[in-house]
Amino acid sequence: MKKIEFKGTKFLFFVIIIHILIFLFDRQNSSLSLEKSYEVLLKLLPIFLMIIVITTLINYFLKPKSIMKHFGKDSGIKAWIYTVLGGIVSHGPMYVWYPMLTQLRQNGLKDGLLATFMYTRSIKIPFIPIMIDYFGVLFTVVLFIYIIIGGVLQGIIIEALSKK
Amino acid sequence: MKENNSLLEALKKAILGLFSMLPMLFTIILLLGIFDTYITKEMLASLFISNNLIDTVIGTSLGAVLTGNPMISYILGGELTNAGVSLYAVTAFVLSWVTLGLIQLPAELEIFGLRFTFYRTLFTFIFTILISLLTVSTVNLILS
Repeated sequence: MKKIEFKGTKFLFFVIIIHILIFLFDRQNSSLSLEKSYEVLLKLLPIFLMIIVITTLINYFLKPKSIMKHFGKDSGIKAWIYTVLGGIVSHGPMYVWYPMLTQLRQNGLKDGLLATFMYTRSIKIPFIPIMIDYFGVLFTVVLFIYIIIGGVLQGIIIEALSKK
Repeated sequence: MKENNSLLEALKKAILGLFSMLPMLFTIILLLGIFDTYITKEMLASLFISNNLIDTVIGTSLGAVLTGNPMISYILGGELTNAGVSLYAVTAFVLSWVTLGLIQLPAELEIFGLRFTFYRTLFTFIFTILISLLTVSTVNLILS
């Protein structure tokens, strides 16, 4: 099994030290803050399970790699559709995608499509349950619709400006 | 059999992905406990001036400075909303957390050039404000 690379361990260590200090100097608020953290954790546990299920289904059925194969290669409306889909299914931080995007840009990827891809990355399918839990279904749906419209509009404007 | 294997692989990948984030998640959850105990609603409210546009700009700027997994921004944003911070500001915060990133700006500049990076950052900032205002207004309109 692949070894897990934990992220943020130093930061966690730092926060544990803060908690120890609070415990030493303000015992009453220390237990209160731990209680509040426990409440947040309990609220999030079922959502974590849903995130695992959704991420599994995306990786299995949507196959981000096969969608990304089309990104930057098609033209017209198809190009915009694959760009939006590519943005939505692309995982990880933006800088991970820089090498591939650089290559695609050298091969003719339009600046507008690049901008749209970078904006629609703000839709994260695996984290939808957590957004719904905090903000509701209506808010999530409306926000995602506006992100797609805004991402495409932004791409069109940047594309027009890049031709000047 | 091969399909079962790939489904299992996908599940393993998803579990590993979430597990790798556990220290960061525990950190945020512990910080939220401290935050909730020591930061009062009055303190939070003083950061925002109850003007939808300006609060949205503040939220956008805050999200652009901070960085990390989007899930963290949802949790922080959700808890800020529960604490009484304007939904306009929180929406902008959550959105700019992913779309804008001051930390990655030098790398973007180096890779995509000044012209593209300038336009992208400028329009992302503008669109994040517009989308946040439109989203909350639309939701309020539908619910009214």
